[in-house]
Order: sequence, then C-alpha cells, then structure tokens
Amino acid sequence: MKEMSVVKLSIITAVCLALCVVLPQAFHAIPGAGSIYLPMHIPVLLCGLICGWKFGLLCGIAGPALSTLFTGMPPVPVLPAMMVELAVYGLVSGLMMQIIRTKKVYVDLYASLLIAMMSGRIVAGIVRALIFSRGNISMATWATSYFVTSLPGIIIQIVLIPSIVYALMKARLIPMRYPHAEG
Amino acid sequence: MNRLPTGTYLPGDSIIHRLDSRIKLLILLITVVAILLVNALIGYGIMVVFIATTILLSRISLSTALNSVSNLYWFFLVIFLMNTAFYSPEDAWVSFWIFTPSLMGMMQGIDVVLRVCLVLVITNVITSATAPLEITKALENLILPLKYIGIPAEQIAMILSIAIQFIPTLSEETDMIRKAQMARGARFDSPKLTEKAKAVLPMVIPIFFTAFKRADELSIAMEARGYRSAAGRTKKKFTPLQFQDYSALAIVILVGILQIIIR
Repeated sequence: MKEMSVVKLSIITAVCLALCVVLPQAFHAIPGAGSIYLPMHIPVLLCGLICGWKFGLLCGIAGPALSTLFTGMPPVPVLPAMMVELAVYGLVSGLMMQIIRTKKVYVDLYASLLIAMMSGRIVAGIVRALIFSRGNISMATWATSYFVTSLPGIIIQIVLIPSIVYALMKARLIPMRYPHAEG
Repeated sequence: MNRLPTGTYLPGDSIIHRLDSRIKLLILLITVVAILLVNALIGYGIMVVFIATTILLSRISLSTALNSVSNLYWFFLVIFLMNTAFYSPEDAWVSFWIFTPSLMGMMQGIDVVLRVCLVLVITNVITSATAPLEITKALENLILPLKYIGIPAEQIAMILSIAIQFIPTLSEETDMIRKAQMARGARFDSPKLTEKAKAVLPMVIPIFFTAFKRADELSIAMEARGYRSAAGRTKKKFTPLQFQDYSALAIVILVGILQIIIR
C-alpha cells in the first residue's frame, strides 16, 4: 500500500475521533441502540485498519474520553473499561493489518477485524474481572454483555467495516492496499 | 424546531463563561471524581447544591442544563430495572425465573441513575459555557507535558483540536443524512430489530464517506500550505489565571475533600 502522509493519517484519526462522538448521538435517536449497535466501535476499528496501530490506539483511548467530555456518554464509571476495550480494538486491528498480507484485501481486512474484535472483548472481560468490576462479573455475564446483547452490532461491524474500507480505497480517498493486483 | 444538541456552546458573559478553560476542565474532572466518591445522602445533597449553583452562575436555563438527562430516559429506565431485578438475589422479595427484585437492588439502581444524571448535567453545563476552541486549547495545554516522556503530545493535541472542530459539522451532516433516510422510508423506530438494522446501514455508509471526503480535502489543503508536523509550531499563549479562577478551583477542591471526609 502506498504510504499516507502523517498529516493525512492525523486528519483521518481526527475525523474518526469526531465520529466517536457523533455516531453514538445519531444512534441514541433509536431507542436502546447504543448497547446493541455499538456505534463507537466502528470508527475506532476503521481507524486502526486504515491508519495503523499508533493512530488506532489513540482513537481507542481518546474517542470514548472525548464523547464523555462532550455528551456525558459513556458514563464515567463505564469509561475506563470502555477505553481499554476500544484501545485494544484500535491497536490490534492496526497491528494485524501490518502483519497479515495475503494479497487479498478482503481476507486481510476480515482476519484483522475478527482478531481485533475478539481480542478487545477478551481483554475487556479480563480487565473488568480483575480491576473495574472485581467480583461482579461472571463468564455468563461477560458472554451476555459482549456477544449476545451486542450481536446485531457485531454483525453490522463484520458486514460494514471491510466494505467501507474497500469502498474508500475504490473512491481513492485512501490508497489501495495492493495497487497492482487490483488495477 | 429541534432542541439544541447536548453540549452545544451557548455564548454568554456569566462567571462560568469567563473562567479560564483549563480551570473549567479541571473543575469538571474534580466534580466527576467527587460524584464517584459519594456514598451517603448528604454527599448527594452537597453535589446537587454545587451543580445547581453552577447552573445558576452560568445563566444557562434549567431545561438546557437538563437536556442531556431528558434525552436518555430509556437508558436510565433500563439501568434502574436491571439493578432492581438482578443486583441482590439474596435479599429478593420474590424469585421468578432469572429475576430477583430486591430493595437493595432498587436502591443501587437509584444510586447509579443519580450519579450518571449528575455527571451528565455538570458535563453539559461546563461544555455549554465553554467555546469548543477554548476546550481544544485547554486540552492541548493540559497534555503538553506528555512530550517529556516521549509521547508526541503536539501531534496528539493537533489531532484532538481538529476532532473537536469536526464535531459540530459532522453532527449536522449526520442529522441531515438520518432525516434524508427517514424520508426515504428508513424505519429507525420499528420494533423489529432486523428492520432497525436495515435502516442503520444506509445511514452509516454516507456518514463515513462524507467524513473521509472532508478529511481528504483538509489534508490536501494543509499539505498544500506547507504543513508537515505539529511540533515546533507557535501558538497563542494563555493569559495568566485570575483570582476568580483560583477561587473556583479552591471551591471545587473543597467539595472533593468534603466528599472524602463524609465517606
């Protein structure tokens, strides 16, 4: 993939950060949508996949913090656990895109995305069990809150995120990952 | 007419508006910590009085200050019911399937909802009384010391400041796209989850495209003007803190200390 300049990477990260505040607000117009559709996860995962682990990590840490500062959501007691979860999404998705190179964009994207989504949930469960909700979280609660309640959000992420990245490449808003292979 | 979105800046000349933005961010941070420390009724009383006084001093109307809370009644109801139904199975009034409602759970539910409400209101008041540019500058200023431990604080500050300036623009565009999709028959309020999900997809994709197009245009414009890195750029200096800034900070620290003593 042709490298993007630091300025462009920074601006894309800034836009993803702004979307971490704006998207949940748009989803809150739909009753109960925040915890089901996980709107804040989408920009963070996108940022990691497009801009790399450093910018993904920043987006994952600063996104929920900015949203709390501007809208009060997520509430402060939930914020640290969410920051850890989203930071892992941004970090791992970026790292995986750097490591996985199969010459097929969709395979790279799906593999990186799924590994990031899984790692984020596992790390979030561990930090909640050990630090933020010590003694108040069981395996069943973890599975329910991270997989069952948010199943529509998980499906939306799996369907949407690789397609958005590919469409952005096609629209030349970000460089093609394998320019020669895809003409 | 639409209500103002939560946290929208409302220009004014109140004492809260005139406070230094760095102090306002610190006040917000300390107040939130104080709210988290509350574990007695008197503690809640102190926080309610403190926040009510802040609203009065900011000259922001009560309805605007409570805007963020009234938008989220569903969220509060769910939190309250979940706590009531699951929090304390050993003190349950009755046990039905997986539900174990109890008085302890109900009190816990009220406690959580009250805390979240207080945090939302104070956040709304402070952000409504501070211009986004001021928040940006204050954030920049507060994270700058990170550069001494090797973190690119200037670049992070630049990213944060651009992100904050993008929020109102993207918010307006998102609202426009949502309304356009509703006009085309998107059913966000449908009771069926599949219909809701189908409505969400055509809303999210244009939002991302618009946002990335803006990012592309801005990066081209910045690079064309010779921008390469945030490090080493000059910026406007903050004016020294005034007596009112120190007083406000002292009061909020006092409130925090009171909460620690009450615990």
